[in-house]
Order: sequence, then C-alpha cells, then structure tokens
Amino acid sequence: MSSPFSINGGACVAMVGKDCVAIACDLRLGLQALTVSNNFPKIFQYGDVFLGLTGLATDVSTVSDLFRYKVNMYRLREERNIAPSTFANLVSSSLYERRFGPYFVSPVVAGLDPKSGRPFICGFDSIGCIDFAKDFIVSGTASEQLFGMCESLWEPDLGPDDLFETISQALLSAVDRDALSGWGAHVYIVEKDKVTKRLLKGRQD
Amino acid sequence: MAMFSQNPVLNGPNYSFAEVPKDAVDGLREHRFNPYTDNGGSTLAIAGADFAIMAGDTRLTSGYSINTRYAPKVFKIGGTTSSQDDANLLLSVVGYAADGEALQERLDAICKMYRYRHGKPMSVSACAKRLSTIMYQKRFFPYYVYAILGGLDEDGRGAVYSYDPVGSFEREQCRAGGAAASLIMPFLDNQVNFKNQYVPGTGVGHELKERERLPLPRNEVEVLVKDAFDSAVERHIEVGDGLQIMIITKDGIEEKVLPLKRD
Amino acid sequence: MADRYSFSLTTFSPSGKLVQIEYALNAVNQGVTALGIKATNGIVLATEKKSSSPLSDPSSLSKISLITPNIGMVYAGMGPDYRVLVDRARKVSHTGYKRIYNEYPPTRILVQDVAREMQEATQSGGVRPYGVSLLVAGWDEGVMPDVESAVQGGGEVEGEKKPSGKTGGILKGGPMLYQVDPSGAYYPWKATAIGKSATTAKTFLEKRYTEGLELEDAVHIALLTLKETIEGEMNGDSIEIGIVGPPADHLLGVEGVHGATGPRFRKLSPQEIEDYLTNL
Repeated sequence: MSSPFSINGGACVAMVGKDCVAIACDLRLGLQALTVSNNFPKIFQYGDVFLGLTGLATDVSTVSDLFRYKVNMYRLREERNIAPSTFANLVSSSLYERRFGPYFVSPVVAGLDPKSGRPFICGFDSIGCIDFAKDFIVSGTASEQLFGMCESLWEPDLGPDDLFETISQALLSAVDRDALSGWGAHVYIVEKDKVTKRLLKGRQD
Repeated sequence: MAMFSQNPVLNGPNYSFAEVPKDAVDGLREHRFNPYTDNGGSTLAIAGADFAIMAGDTRLTSGYSINTRYAPKVFKIGGTTSSQDDANLLLSVVGYAADGEALQERLDAICKMYRYRHGKPMSVSACAKRLSTIMYQKRFFPYYVYAILGGLDEDGRGAVYSYDPVGSFEREQCRAGGAAASLIMPFLDNQVNFKNQYVPGTGVGHELKERERLPLPRNEVEVLVKDAFDSAVERHIEVGDGLQIMIITKDGIEEKVLPLKRD
Repeated sequence: MADRYSFSLTTFSPSGKLVQIEYALNAVNQGVTALGIKATNGIVLATEKKSSSPLSDPSSLSKISLITPNIGMVYAGMGPDYRVLVDRARKVSHTGYKRIYNEYPPTRILVQDVAREMQEATQSGGVRPYGVSLLVAGWDEGVMPDVESAVQGGGEVEGEKKPSGKTGGILKGGPMLYQVDPSGAYYPWKATAIGKSATTAKTFLEKRYTEGLELEDAVHIALLTLKETIEGEMNGDSIEIGIVGPPADHLLGVEGVHGATGPRFRKLSPQEIEDYLTNL
C-alpha cells in the first residue's frame, strides 16, 4: 500500500494494430483511497511519439517534463523528430542513470516508425529495462487486470476502429476492477499522418 | 527488492516452516512456523439459465516450484456415496490446498449427514448458508481458501455463490477466484455481464443504452471459460497444466479435463 | 608588437584575429595532402603515406581512421593531435550518442562534437589549438537526396512512401562529407582537399568533379588528383584510401544474424589500391 507505485494510482495500455497503434490511460489522481483529481492524463505527445507514464504522480510530471526537454533538444540539434525506437532507448538510458534512486514510474512508448511506418510499442520497468512487445504493453495499478483483458481481447492486425474498441473495452473493464484507477480515460489512435484522440467517460467511481 | 518487483511472489517467502529458528541475545531460541502456504491456481464459475459451470486449473505450486500438475480444485458435494454419482452441488476451492481439501471434506460430510437425516439432498441456498457458517466458525484461524459453491436453485436456474476466507458470501452471475482472479474477473464483467458495452446510436451520455444482459448459452460459456484460462496461463506462472471443468444441469454433473500450457 | 598577442591564446589581436589559430592553420598547410570526394552512392577519402626513411614500415602506419561503422576520418597536419581527436571522436560517439540512443550519431552530429572539441581548444586556458584539419566522411540513414528531389519535383508515384514532412526540416540521408578546421569551423563539401597541395588539388578537383558521380569514378578521380600532388612513388603501400560505400557484410564477423548490417566505412587494402592503380 505504501509502495510509491500505488500511492496515486493509474493505468496505461498500448496496443499494436494493422499499420496503427493505440495508447490509452485513465484520468484518476488519488492519495491512497482519496480521489484528488479526475483530470490527470498520463499520456504525453512528443512529436510523433507517445509516452504513457504511471506510478508516483510527482515523478510522472517530472519525467514527462524531462523528456519534453530532451526531445526538444534532440529536435533542435538534429533538425528532425525523434523516432519511437530512438526515444525508447533515450527513456531507457535516462531511467538507468537513476539506477540507485529511481523515478517511480512505469513508462510505455507507442508510435509509428517514421521511415517504415511500422507500429512500435514498448514498456519499461522503473530503471529502464525495455520490454519490446509485439502485441500490447500494460502498466499501472491495474496492470494485472489489463493483462487479463488484453490477453483475451487482443488479436493481430486490428484496423484503427476495431483497435479503438478493443483498447477502450480493455481499459474500461480493467480499471473498473481497480479502486485506484478509473474516472474516465484518454485514448489515442495513431495512424500514418493521422492521430485521433478520444475522451471516454467511464464509471465515475 | 519488493520496491521494484511489484510481484507478490517476490515480496517475501510465505511457505510453511520457511523461517529458521533464530538465536536470541539471551541464548533463548525462538521457534515459529507459518501455518499457511499459498498454493496458487485459479478458479472460475459462471451461472447460466439452466446450468452452472465451475472450472479450475490443476497446477499446485509453492513459491516457484510446481508440486503437481494434477490436483483438482473442483469437487462434487453431497452425493449418497463416495462415488458422488448423485451429487447435486459443486465446490471449488483455491488458496491453501490443505485447507481447501479439509473444507471440502467437511462440507461433503455435512451434506451427506443432511441427506441421510432428511432423505433429500440439500438445496444450494441452504448449503451456501451452511458453508458460510463453517467458515465463520474458524474466524480466528481461518481456512485460507477462496471458495465458490455452484448448483441449481429451486427454480432450476444456475446458481453461483462466492466466499471470502471467513465466510462472507454473495450469490453472483459469475466469479473468478485465486491467483489469476484479477486477470479473469474484468474479462467476465465485460463478456458475461456486458459491462462497458452500449448499444450504438442510442444517444449521448446517460441516454446511452446498456447492452441487454441475457444469460449465455452453454457452448458460449464453455468457450469463455477456456479463453479466460488460456489468457491467465499466459500471464500467471501459478496457473497452468490442466483445466478441470464441471457442468451441473438437471441431468446431473458432467466433468471434463482439458489440457492447458505446462510451461 | 605582434608578439604581445601571440602567446595568450584567448587574447584577440587589435586586428581581430586569434593568431594562434592562424599558426595552427599554417601547421595544417605544411601537412601531407588529404582529399575527399562525395559520390552519389558513397565517398572516398585519400591521402599519401609519406615515409621519411626507407627503413620505416608503412604497413603499420594508418592515417585514415574508422570512427563509427559508417563514419571515417582523415587529416592534414600534426599526426599526434589527430590521434587525440580520433580518440575523442570515437569516445563521444558512444558517450554522447550510442549509449543514450542505442544508435550511432549522424555525420553532422559527430562533426559538431569534434568541432566543439577543437573550438574549446581555442578558448580554454593552458591549451593550444589542434594542429590539424579533418575530412569526415559518413553515411546517414534517411531519405536519399534523389528520392527527396523526385518527390519535390511533383513526380508522384502511387503507393510509394513519401517523406511526411512531419519529420522536420532535414531527414536527409546518404553520403556526407565535412571539413573541420583548427578554429572549430566546419564546412560541407562535394569534394575538397586539405594540406600542403590543397590549392592545386582543389583546382584539379573542380575540373574533374561532375554531378551524379559514382563511387568507382570518385576513387578514380581521387587517385588522379593524388598523382598530381604526390612526391614519391604511387603504390598500394604509399597511399591510403578509405571509402564509404554499401554495407560491407563480410566485415561483420558473423553470418545469418537477422537485421545485422556491416559497416559502410572501410579502408581499402594495399592490394585493392594496386588494382585501382593498374586500371588508372
């Protein structure tokens, strides 16, 4: 209960589809059992790359700002947007830099490779070990519930619309069984040259 | 360790006799042992219109070891003989296997006694309350067991009762228990009770109509159970090996064991 | 009077010059000539390996260096200073890039890092500028120049992937050739030369260079240019050639590893150079 990962609560999930990826998060911010805010998004967009962060809320803010700075510096230096796989390695090395005093976050990265257009998702532990998954990545206090949902609902080569339905049902049903997550959700569907962001209401308890 | 793992299995050993006697400063030795072990595994029950289905995996673990690949968790309860051919109840137990077996034997004995004395089998609702009492009697040294009781009610409808280790119980449409309960339960909410499913084009916000809840046919439920366990096996190390399924209908109890991944 | 401004590196002379940097350039202009030519499908770097004594062993001398698998470097000027810069360049390509992004730096980023190192030697206390100019040749993954111009030219092909434009100004790929000077200034070139006979060589290159050059032609031109300026005999042991070309998978050391590509930069062996020379 006093684990830094589960003080504020929150959930995030990313999925691969056919020529598209989806990433979604809940909106709750809590202090143990007390809900403080129902509008605390955990997904951040850096150019064409999306970063989901669950865990200790103060670290979510700090880490998201840190990567905004790092990605902006990259863009200025290299005159190009950072690719998802490059960003994933940046996240990994940045987290490992804090090996013995980690940020208490479980990041998720999603995006399409700018050159090949191939979907890319991956997840990390709090010290930067990368989990390159071909199907889906889950993180947060509802990660067990999300594993159960994703493992049973996900299938290969879903189109953007089906992928949206799948990730939404997975997230909503998962957070409904986790007291520390929920209160609505943000869902991003990333296609070539198109990003759709939807707000889900969900149960307000 | 526990800080990074987020994995209950890593958060400290919880096996019986795991703690070695410690030498105290004054030369006295402190002996202690932990009477409980978590033997992993998962169970699942769904009530249909005229049937109830109970399922459980057959793996039995302690820590990272697999003690056996075939230890049934679902039992027929209340038959006249030890063969349980005329049993009218199903009980699944998950948690500490020894307590599970003890509870199963006790409930079966009580149901048999009831049957001999009353000349009729116990109803599910009666057995449900009786099981609660049995468990609550050990309120301060509980059976470390998550139990689910299944059967057909007085109207012939499928009935599922779920319990916590100290006997708090509730009748439900479906329930998952044990190690992978957190993985399976949201899936059941979504696929059995159609939670978060709405009828498209019926309005915005509160106008939106929920998808109508209809009891699922037996073949669909069986597929659902298999899918749920296949998913749980994929992501939980304590679940696997075999899937024991029992289906109770007015014609009796049908049992089958399907293979699950053994890795 | 001029001596008053010639010792402290960080002091401008009244005319606005840092004369120590000019002296460093003088050292470069006394150095052995090196040249680089960019082709459509690669780059060639070439230089003379001058031995001061008939007893020296040229096979153990190397003036062209690999920095990353796709980037190589050559110099004119002071050999020891060059070695330090090669070490720094190799180190910074890992600490400042590969260990962060798990990929090697694009040529321009590496050039900037090396140029920063050289600039810092013109503004720090207790140091002198590097007495070398560098030619840095590399290959960047990205949109090839010919593909980019075809798309901009409106030649739209159905189903072909176009650069989205979202990726920012330059997602430029292909061969890159830069010169870096002791001041820290760097210049991109199609073809250039540095060192003693740089002027002669550049005049020659201006005549010989054409757009749409292929790597084989570029090697040919490099040897012709070198021939104009070389002092001793020209053979496989007396000159050095490095090329940036197609991935050299035979240098990988392993076979059948999925996704592994060999280095694009490699040095030609004396035998390969001899082969080019016989066809000259």
